[in-house]
Amino acid sequence: MKTQSKLYGYITISAILLVIIAVWSLNTGVYDFGGKSAFDVLGKVIQGDTGLSLSDKYVVWDVRAARIIMAILIGSMLAVSGTGLQGLFKNPLATGDLIGLTSGATLLAAIAIVLGGHFKQYLPEAVQFSLVGISAFIGSLLSMMLVYRISTSGGKTNVVMMLLSGVAITAIGFSITGFLIYISKDDQLRDLTFWNLGSLAAATWTKNIILAVVLIISYFILLPKGKALNAMMLGEKDAQHLGINVERLKKQIIIITALMVGSCVAFSGTIGFVGLIVPYILRFLFKSNYVFILPLSAVFGSILLLLADTFSRSIVEPSELPIGILTALMGGPIFIAILVKFKKSLS
Amino acid sequence: MIKACQISYKHKEFHILDGVDVSLEYGEFLAIVGPNGAGKSSLLSVLANEVKSKQKIEFKDKDLKEWDIRELSKHKAKFSQHNSNDITLEVKDVVMMGRYPYFDAQPREEDFDAVNHRMQETEVLHLKDREYNTLSGGEKQRVHLSRVMVQLENDITRKLVFLDEPLNNLDVKHQYKALEIIKKFTENTNSAVVVLHDLNLAAQFADKILLMKSGRVAAYGTPEEVFTAENISGAYNFPCTICDHPITNNPMIIFG
Repeated sequence: MKTQSKLYGYITISAILLVIIAVWSLNTGVYDFGGKSAFDVLGKVIQGDTGLSLSDKYVVWDVRAARIIMAILIGSMLAVSGTGLQGLFKNPLATGDLIGLTSGATLLAAIAIVLGGHFKQYLPEAVQFSLVGISAFIGSLLSMMLVYRISTSGGKTNVVMMLLSGVAITAIGFSITGFLIYISKDDQLRDLTFWNLGSLAAATWTKNIILAVVLIISYFILLPKGKALNAMMLGEKDAQHLGINVERLKKQIIIITALMVGSCVAFSGTIGFVGLIVPYILRFLFKSNYVFILPLSAVFGSILLLLADTFSRSIVEPSELPIGILTALMGGPIFIAILVKFKKSLS
Repeated sequence: MIKACQISYKHKEFHILDGVDVSLEYGEFLAIVGPNGAGKSSLLSVLANEVKSKQKIEFKDKDLKEWDIRELSKHKAKFSQHNSNDITLEVKDVVMMGRYPYFDAQPREEDFDAVNHRMQETEVLHLKDREYNTLSGGEKQRVHLSRVMVQLENDITRKLVFLDEPLNNLDVKHQYKALEIIKKFTENTNSAVVVLHDLNLAAQFADKILLMKSGRVAAYGTPEEVFTAENISGAYNFPCTICDHPITNNPMIIFG
């Protein structure tokens, strides 16, 4: 009783916070609605008011609202994937970007963009349409399996190996992506730059629906795993004695995190550090109790990315800052803080 | 309870276990003793289904491999020799892990009761809000002992607990306390298989003794049968004298 109602309390409070930030974000921007607030306009859009000017509707619904929802979905999935990976590797440094999942996804997405034209016609139509997304998923899944193989043996993770394999994958990804930029055409180049910097500016409702489907499937499987991830801290054998199917759990986490990271990369490029920052903050409050930090990182990831995105598009109006700059600014010091804390066990 | 014939286990070319037979009755306290590297922990691992052996192991008249893993966790538990040192959780959350097979999302009243009761018994209740990582070695051992005992707190009859050197790092009082908890557990047709180093404690608490040497069974039987000067000095390669314990009349082993 106690634990669960406390958890729901935290989730409710943070969800209310998220809604407040979303309202503020909707009202933030340079566009002038002619005296009305963006919120009034949104109300009219939802009611299907025909008197609304097309540009008002476009700005509120297709630009701002779509972007806010995308920030919520992507932020949430990046944070949960980070927390899940940290449970699997039993280390707070494991996140999609540090161990190379993001690079792997970016690499295959870049290959699909630049070279996709040559083999696209041989693929079934459904695959053609979502080629970039599927490639990103495969890229992150392959990197994930590679990192896991290299860094983990007998249920124990070598943190140095884990981070170094991330560095290696990132290096390979960087060089091949660089080569692809060199040989790419103009419009492909724009796509690639977007991928490398990471941005939510290309949000559309179609993308949001796909992301929402991925999120629901992933969370359905992953969010109830808090207990299992706690038990993994005892070691794999002892987790097994507690009735947890460790092999299945590991496979589920590997596939689901790769799916989430891949989808995020496919739609918003590389936005770093969200999966590092959010669990780091939550651990201050809940230690490493995954029963709390796994579901809460879903909400706090949204809050973080929505805040960062709103700042990034309002701080240098009417232009905008790449969002990765802000998340890296927060994530970098946290990375160092964790390293300092783990200095003893790493050496 | 558990039956295993001719267990062999090889690591690379090296025989760790070589044709070991184990059979345990309901309500029996079996102590596995022997010198370092005799294969005690390996035998326990094989019996507890941690490593796959080619030979069939029967637990409650059913092949261990056919048990559902979650169901199995309510019938047997294991206390490992090397407990994780890095668990950034509060002590009560670590003990609550023992109840994971029983609830889905939220611990029920009876789960909290079981946790409190066992923590009291192992004298770690006052540590319940401390972070696990800040405990001393002996305190950690007691936390894990209560976690393992909490796991078997249910209505199922004839349960089995494996303990691999549960007395490590414990002071004299808590060594006795721990063995009394295990002994009490076996009084209700439950069984225990315990790896022990202290032969005198084994003689005092165990119903049966399995003496191992180099991956084989050197002697098996009641404490009186196994603890003879010949068996012990042969297995440990060290001289010893056996006499009667002045109070309990169990065999008492004096080395040197």
